[in-house]
Amino acid sequence: MTAEPFPAGFAQVQTQGFGGFAGPVMGGADAKGPLFLMDIATQHLNGADRLHGGMMMSLMSIVMGEVASATAAGKDAGAKTRALSLNCDFVSAGETGERIEGRAVITRATRSVMFISGTLSVGARVLMTATGVFAIKGSAE
Amino acid sequence: MTESDIIHPLHGRTPLPCPRDVTAPEGFEAQELHDPFEALMGPLFERVNADGSRVAAFVVDDRHVNADGGLHDGMMMTLADAFLGGAAWRGTGGKPCVTMSLQASFLGEAKAGDVVEIRTKVEKQTRSVMFVSAALTVAGEPLMSATSLWKVLGER
Repeated sequence: MTAEPFPAGFAQVQTQGFGGFAGPVMGGADAKGPLFLMDIATQHLNGADRLHGGMMMSLMSIVMGEVASATAAGKDAGAKTRALSLNCDFVSAGETGERIEGRAVITRATRSVMFISGTLSVGARVLMTATGVFAIKGSAE
Repeated sequence: MTESDIIHPLHGRTPLPCPRDVTAPEGFEAQELHDPFEALMGPLFERVNADGSRVAAFVVDDRHVNADGGLHDGMMMTLADAFLGGAAWRGTGGKPCVTMSLQASFLGEAKAGDVVEIRTKVEKQTRSVMFVSAALTVAGEPLMSATSLWKVLGER
C-alpha cells in the first residue's frame, strides 16, 4: 500500500526517542488551525489487527503536548509544559492504512495551567476524544 | 473456573519478537507478546506472586523517552493499557474486552534504566463493563495512576 504524500509544509514532530519510534507523527496547519497526521502501519496494531489503544493515546498525548508547548512558548519563549492528567475516550477503532487527523484546542490557559481538549479522527469518523490538564513552567521558574 | 483454565485467543500463535534484548528484572519473566505495538516497545515482564497477585515490570530505554530524557506520557499510558487489558480479560474469565475510556494522572518521572512496576485491580465488574485501575511506580515512588472502563465484547 502506498500512502498518500503528506501536504506541503508538514514536518515530523517529536523525532527523538518515543515520538520518533512510535510514529512518525507529522505536524502542520490548515485553515482550521494546527493539524497532526499519522498513517496507521502494521507496527501500531494490537492482536486484533486494530490500532493499539496505547498508540492511540500516545498520538493524543503528542498532539496535545505539541499544542500546549507551542501555546506556552508563544507567550514566554522559554516556557515548558508537562501533562498532569489525560482523559481519553475510545470512540471507534483504527485500521491499517488509515490516515489519522489530530487536533487540540486550548479551552483555558492560566499562568500556571492549561486545559486542553483534543480529537483524533479518520475522515468524518471520530476515533478518540480527550481532555487534558497541563502544567506550565515559565522561563523564570 | 480457575485462571489456568482460561485459554487466550492468541494462544498457540507464535509470540512476536521484540527489537531489543533486555534482561528481565530480578524475579520477573518476559511475557509472550501478540500485539505488534507492545512487541515494538517491549519486552514486558511479569511476576505471579504466591498469593496469585500479579506485578508487571518494564525497563525504560532510549526508545521510550522524550527529548528531555523523561519517560514519555504515551509510553506510560501504553503500559497501563496493556496490563489493564490483561486484568480485564482475566476478570471476565477470558472474554475479549476493548478500552472505552482511560484516565491517567502523571505523578512522577522516570528515565532510561529505571524499572517501572505496574499493579492492576478490578474495581467492579458487570456483565458488560469492567472497571479496572492501575498504579505505576518506580523504586516504590508513584509514577502514574489510571482508572479505566472496558467493554466486554458480545455482552449487553
